[in-house]
Amino acid sequence: MTERNGMRYGVLGLIVLTLLILLGLLVAMQSPSTSEPTAPGAATSPVLESLAALDGQAPARRALDIQTWTTAEGAKVLFVAAPQLPMFDLRLTFAAGSSQDGAVPGLAMLTNAMLNEGVAGKDVGAIAEGFEGLGAHFGNGAYRDMAVVSLRSLSQRELREPALALFTQVLGAPNFPADSLARIQNQLLAGFEYQKQNPGKLAGIALFEALYGSHPYAHSSDGNAQSIPAITLEQLRAFHAKAYTASNAVIAVVGDLSRSEAEAISAQVSAALPKGPALAKAPQPAVPKAGRQHIEHPSKQTHLLLAQLGIDRREPDYAALYIGNQILGGGGFGTRLMEEVREKRGLTYGIYSGFSAMQARGPFMINLQTRAELSEGALTLVQEILRDYLANGPTQKELDDAKRELAGSFPLSTASNADIVGQLGSMGFYDLPLSYLEDFMAQIQALSVEQVRTAMAKHLNPAAMLIVSAGPTVAQQPLPPPTARPSAQPTGVPEH
Amino acid sequence: MKSLTRSAAGLLLLALCLPSLAGASSAPATHEFRLDNGLKLIVREDHRAPVVVSQLWYKVGSSYETPGKTGLSHALEHMMFKGSAKLGPGESSRVLRELGAEENAFTSDDYTAYYQVLASDRLSVAFELEADRLASLRLPPEEFKREIEVIKEERRLRTEDNPSAKAYERFQALAFPASGYHTPTIGWMADLERMTVEELRAWYETWYVPNNATLVVVGDVVPSEVHALAQRYFGSIAQRPLPQAQIPLELSTPGQRLLTLHLPTQLPSLMMGFNVPGLATSKNPREVHALRLIGALLDGGYSARLPSRLERGEELVSGAGSSYDAYTRGDSLFVLSATPNVQKGKTLAEVEAGLWRQLDDLKTTPPSAEELARVRAQVIAGLVYERDSITSQATTIGQLETVGLSWQLMDAELAELSAVTPSDIQQAAQTYFTRERLSVAHILPEDTRHD
Repeated sequence: MTERNGMRYGVLGLIVLTLLILLGLLVAMQSPSTSEPTAPGAATSPVLESLAALDGQAPARRALDIQTWTTAEGAKVLFVAAPQLPMFDLRLTFAAGSSQDGAVPGLAMLTNAMLNEGVAGKDVGAIAEGFEGLGAHFGNGAYRDMAVVSLRSLSQRELREPALALFTQVLGAPNFPADSLARIQNQLLAGFEYQKQNPGKLAGIALFEALYGSHPYAHSSDGNAQSIPAITLEQLRAFHAKAYTASNAVIAVVGDLSRSEAEAISAQVSAALPKGPALAKAPQPAVPKAGRQHIEHPSKQTHLLLAQLGIDRREPDYAALYIGNQILGGGGFGTRLMEEVREKRGLTYGIYSGFSAMQARGPFMINLQTRAELSEGALTLVQEILRDYLANGPTQKELDDAKRELAGSFPLSTASNADIVGQLGSMGFYDLPLSYLEDFMAQIQALSVEQVRTAMAKHLNPAAMLIVSAGPTVAQQPLPPPTARPSAQPTGVPEH
Repeated sequence: MKSLTRSAAGLLLLALCLPSLAGASSAPATHEFRLDNGLKLIVREDHRAPVVVSQLWYKVGSSYETPGKTGLSHALEHMMFKGSAKLGPGESSRVLRELGAEENAFTSDDYTAYYQVLASDRLSVAFELEADRLASLRLPPEEFKREIEVIKEERRLRTEDNPSAKAYERFQALAFPASGYHTPTIGWMADLERMTVEELRAWYETWYVPNNATLVVVGDVVPSEVHALAQRYFGSIAQRPLPQAQIPLELSTPGQRLLTLHLPTQLPSLMMGFNVPGLATSKNPREVHALRLIGALLDGGYSARLPSRLERGEELVSGAGSSYDAYTRGDSLFVLSATPNVQKGKTLAEVEAGLWRQLDDLKTTPPSAEELARVRAQVIAGLVYERDSITSQATTIGQLETVGLSWQLMDAELAELSAVTPSDIQQAAQTYFTRERLSVAHILPEDTRHD
């Protein structure tokens, strides 16, 4: 099967429907967290005998022997051998996201989406048949910082070698056929039309534009209905030649391969890439003015986004902010935002907050949806929760619990080959040390309440939020009163 | 007879000489237990990482519900997080969060399931929490009052404000005239408005019994220890008699149905659904596997027929897909959907005709050996890739068991699909892709409304 670019998936609502049918309805979507280990203490509820019996030790995780080297052409490689299943994952991450679009929004995404549309002697159909006839998955995607191209295949030599040969050709020598460009441009235009029925998506696009102004993160990676039709084959070729070079790439390999096989694979792929230097990283954005924007939309709910500039991936306060956010609104149930807005008041199905740490300062964002007539009240409530949290920080118990949580979930972050290849790609792309996972967890476990409070207050200002809402304009109603907190529940919610 | 079929299939699928993958796709060790109270336990070992997934599946979902009382299964799923004998409202989630577990639940037509993914040394906590809410759910009225508002928000988010999902809900109601598959899992808004906590209590007492549940555990565990742990936490929960759960059966030839919807969307789209059996209701499993193969021929990858012929070749659609779930408790639906390529001026009528051309082609022309070899290669590889995720392994096991089939079907996948012949495919297409089994939905932008 071939994974197509995200935008083209969006063209068809059925994909979403199929998921809905297969998965049924989840109680709440939980955003996956990358997280790591250390020493937790005893847990809370004495009523549970199983909990009392736990020894309080941090759990072990899958041992990762991460090996690294650089190819002759300058691509960094990270490799973990995983011989348990007869398969492997290869993932190339290029600094070729939409922050490299220049004056042509959507160029990076379109280049990425066009890679598997044609090579010498094979059109798009033949390429797809090639991968699928081997049971291999070709994947691609473009975001703001990065463009990703990946292969999953069985590791057996007779299948692996032809899959790699085709992958190498697609990556290194795409011939960008004109008819494919015209077709994909049309599909993207259809995708923009579909976007108009999605208030959450519209709000997200407006928010990034307001937050980043003239910075390259401002526009959507998908481009827009004006920019996409104007993109030419020459622009695609030029973008591929400058952005898909080995020095602009990180190669992550996980699977049933020996070190020498992984070396041969990375050498083969690297040698096929265009020659050239690494691209300059995106500059830091200017700080925008706080403000409010509304998008009128005929929906039942109003979508609310609150954001300001957050941090880049090199930020020394990263660990403190990660756990600080985890307590505020990271992940699922039990965060302050989820407790106050959903559990105590029934205002929303889900509310989340998070830092996107990127090459340049990414956003800190809170998002929720609520029925339109309560949206102003909900917004005020969220602002109060944030203000209080930034002023007073977490409680000691909240911090202790979050440390236990992150230590406990550490084994989940590297459980599957898919998990590991994702971690390697990210570590390589953001230049993190091989000991990053352990270092991060050690930093987390050493944090004090005061350090978390200070870091959150230093990086976030409740008065500086940009707010975008999308929904209908309706008469507003006051919020229902919150439920009283059951006295037996010792969790961290502001006590005033 | 059987050997004839096999050799025919062998010829059929041999075109691409894939090396033998007997080792690659051999099934991992899986163990089945049953407690005295009827609870079924299935344990699959996966020792790659010190993690485990635990899923408790109940045989109840929206297809069990009756008019006026839709959405009960899903609402009960929400209320399962609101306290039991040992746990206050929301406490199980807090306990699991502090342990670093991922946890949640999902409801569908045929099942309601609860899961935890966590470090394997903490499995006992997942069992104790799950057993407690199976045995002693509290259902506090004041919690229900707020939670039903959350559920309405969920419905607004996922259905009311999502034209594609809303269209599918209406389409499903039309396509299943006789069975509980008519009912949307989240429930109709009018039923959410009048739902009471007493109804939920009755629903809970009827269906949440150990003899109606399957516990699936996949991960770094020792099966005998998991069995002992299950016995310790679930063993004392008494079994109770269950009502007879009728299999959802549909009319075989309901007649052609047409639905026209005007929704706040910019582009038109089309859905076509044929009433077909599932594996649990078909008298001839081979025809079900033939329908599954048809699904793969149409939409099993970027080289499949809908993308290669309609999206790229004719440029008739900007996107098209097909879906068919054979693993349902009752009869199923084979669905095609598409969006016309409006940039090329294509219309819904042309798209509908184009989809029919693909279906008619399946009736008259056998698929090429090469096409079938591609499908087979993907099935073989898919069986290996699935084993990279403990959650997807557990979900496959749990779903098969809960719809009344056996988890062992997952290990017979390749053999079942290989047994399908080209004439099976043609025959299934001729039998099932008929107008009298068809529901069509035309989804149009609101401003094109003429009445």
